[in-house]
Amino acid sequence: MNATREVLFTNVRILDGTGQQQPYGGSVRVRGKRIVQVGRSAGGVSAGDALVVDAAGATLMPGMTEAHTHFSWNDAATLAGIQTMPLEEHVLWTAKVARRYLEAGFTSCLGAACAKPRLDVVIRNAIDSGQIPGPRYLAASQEITVPGGLGDEMLPHLPFPEFSFGVVVNGADDLRRVTRMFLKYGVDTLKLNLSGDNFVPGADAKTTWMTDAEVAACAEEVRMRGKRIVVHARSCASVKQALRHGIRLIYHASFTDTEALDMLEAARDEVFVAPGISIIYALLNEAEPWGVSHEKAVAMGYEEEWAAACESLKAMHRRGVRVLPGGDYGFAFNPHLQNARDLELFVKYLGFTPMEAIRSCTLYGGQVMLRPHELGLIKEGYLADLLLLDGDPLANLSILRDPKRILAVMKDGEFAKTPPVAKARTWEHAA
Amino acid sequence: MADVLFTNVRIFDGGGEAPFQGDVLVQGNRISRVARSGYGSRPPSVAGAQMIDGAGAFLMPGMVEAHTHFSWNDQPSLESIQRMPPEEHILWCAQVARRYLDMGWTSCVGAATAKPRLDVVIRNAINDGTIVGPRYLAASQEITVPGGLGDTTAPHLPQAEFAFGAVVSGAEEMRRCVRMFCKYGVDSLKINLSGESITGMPSEMSQFTEEEIRVCVEEAKAWGKRVAAHARSTWSIKQCVKQGIEVIYHASFADEEALDLLEANKFNHFVAPGLAWLINTCHHASTWGLTPEVTRKMGYHRELEAAIESMKAMRRRGIRILPGGDYGFAWTPHGTNAKDLEYFVKLIGMSPMEALLSATAWGGPMMKMGKEIGYIREGCLADILLIDGDPLADITVLQDKARILAVMKDGEFHRAPPVRHTRANRWAA
Repeated sequence: MNATREVLFTNVRILDGTGQQQPYGGSVRVRGKRIVQVGRSAGGVSAGDALVVDAAGATLMPGMTEAHTHFSWNDAATLAGIQTMPLEEHVLWTAKVARRYLEAGFTSCLGAACAKPRLDVVIRNAIDSGQIPGPRYLAASQEITVPGGLGDEMLPHLPFPEFSFGVVVNGADDLRRVTRMFLKYGVDTLKLNLSGDNFVPGADAKTTWMTDAEVAACAEEVRMRGKRIVVHARSCASVKQALRHGIRLIYHASFTDTEALDMLEAARDEVFVAPGISIIYALLNEAEPWGVSHEKAVAMGYEEEWAAACESLKAMHRRGVRVLPGGDYGFAFNPHLQNARDLELFVKYLGFTPMEAIRSCTLYGGQVMLRPHELGLIKEGYLADLLLLDGDPLANLSILRDPKRILAVMKDGEFAKTPPVAKARTWEHAA
Repeated sequence: MADVLFTNVRIFDGGGEAPFQGDVLVQGNRISRVARSGYGSRPPSVAGAQMIDGAGAFLMPGMVEAHTHFSWNDQPSLESIQRMPPEEHILWCAQVARRYLDMGWTSCVGAATAKPRLDVVIRNAINDGTIVGPRYLAASQEITVPGGLGDTTAPHLPQAEFAFGAVVSGAEEMRRCVRMFCKYGVDSLKINLSGESITGMPSEMSQFTEEEIRVCVEEAKAWGKRVAAHARSTWSIKQCVKQGIEVIYHASFADEEALDLLEANKFNHFVAPGLAWLINTCHHASTWGLTPEVTRKMGYHRELEAAIESMKAMRRRGIRILPGGDYGFAWTPHGTNAKDLEYFVKLIGMSPMEALLSATAWGGPMMKMGKEIGYIREGCLADILLIDGDPLADITVLQDKARILAVMKDGEFHRAPPVRHTRANRWAA
């Protein structure tokens, strides 16, 4: 887009993403890739040469951020089902998912792990170079795990790394080597599986797998290169381990005790928690068609985890720890593009107000993407990542996962989804 | 998908007759009506159809590229194609597939791929709608011999992953290789029967034993697959005819015996010479170190002369010559493929009509689709181009994206005609 090209949204209800401000009527002007003017009144705005989008009262809010994204999960029911997709198909799948996230209103996604070593890096690069459409993306490594832990999908008689969903390491030196390999590939984040998961027989969610020496080796390398570690940490011990090692983005955090909560609160200006609770909810209540009945899910430990997670996250929210949406979409029972459902669950089960839920994917989104000064808000000078919504998300959060209600998506000042209204106007003007 | 009525267009129907003024109705993915408009006639009204007033534009069948390499990455050497990692490579292929469709090639025949599964995966992804691209037949890698065209391994780096082609030696290795690609799901096997001067082995030299070739053809036929050959040398052309290799690429050095053989079997073979590659290698590749002096020394200037003579003779004898060939090098970038048609007219004596037919009427059987594509006729699949200009007067208009007003594949617009046309229709309606 021409740097001087302007788009003027008029007659919009502005939900600015700060969480501090009730929506108000006004107009927003975008020039090039940034928001240059946010006006409060409907009148007195000169359109000039701008493309005018008269929103007729639709809500304009910042593009959403998904804090725990797996583009390469392929909506299969098992880890092995993801892993057996061949490389070439997997890249095309990942590209397709990236485009769909953007069109669904996620203008930023934080990669939480990919299924083959380079998938995330290649997709991030292809998005950045304009080769494919997709959200802003931070590329992750594969899940790094230890023998027998979550992500070690090798069978005893097929002990080949290609069969493994994650990278299996053993010992600090090994972890350092693998960390360096992913850093060489160009990842933004390293993913460590510190705890188990109820999905994995013999490595349930309350177990903790890595030694401090292993985590420290990874942390040292990552710090040296200015990158970030993110962790799968469901168990209480793994949450504490992560905090001890200075890890600032914690996924799940289902099981906590007072000490863990105190540690989280003490670090609340730096720490983010993205619990990904929808997968627990889905396994407990909705996974029967894929062979996980409610009884089976209970036996796997999901009922206990759901109760613990709700308590832990409510406590974190009360204590001012930033809890963000996103997590583990891309399974058959928790498919891609339902991600905004997290916000509804936050309100229903964790005591969020709708405004707090919105803030968790806007203000906090810019922060977790490490660009708080220019991303996540409707504010002059900020990047023009915007959603135009038919309806009021504060009254009904579920419109955020309804493609028909998402009228337009803009990233970097360019429409990824063009408003239908604008199309019609162009027609009439042309005629 | 909505029905589309093209009105007020000059229709080139692919049958070899002069274009006529008329209307074309597309319903679903097929052409359901082609009507001549006479003096005073009015366009038929079709309820619910999108009307496209062509304002006299030239409407023709989508073109077929007979020798396509989506995975060649516009680089100057085989090694630099090969060094692209598989993840980037598949995204590149997807991007290139779209570029072909942009340029009016609604069908492409894969002639070889740079890594084992690239072509197959792209074909499948096009067919299931994951990506946008032409109809596509997927090829194997180039099958070659140690030291032959496509063996880019180095003595100290002998790993198969360094090889551009699949390197085999002996009949049973050939059989294993063919079976592997058939398992992967290719539509055709590519075998390199002659050398290629730029890679070290002169184009006039040949490779493979007759037994190895026989096994390749036998095994491919057992799987119901097609064989296509890189065949620049005289011997290799004759082998194609003798062993029943349907698709002959290049065929530069055809002697009388080769021409006689081809003529006697002319409905069993397709020839795609890839002239633009030879011409650009001889004259337009200095930027990449291939000055005319260098390429003359390599023998390409002599080959170009021989190829032009061979093609002239084949044309006289009624052998099917098709456009396409080896686009995807730095000096023959993807998307410029319609150059071949220009050279057919300028160098080998085809009329513009013959050149158009080579990209349309002969494209159907080349795609193994008979007369389902390549024609603007009732019942045919709706692969349609709308051209601003008259390719019969100036064949080069097909090289200009801006002159290709619209591209329709399978009844759906890949590139819809520009707004002014739509607007005109609105007024008309």
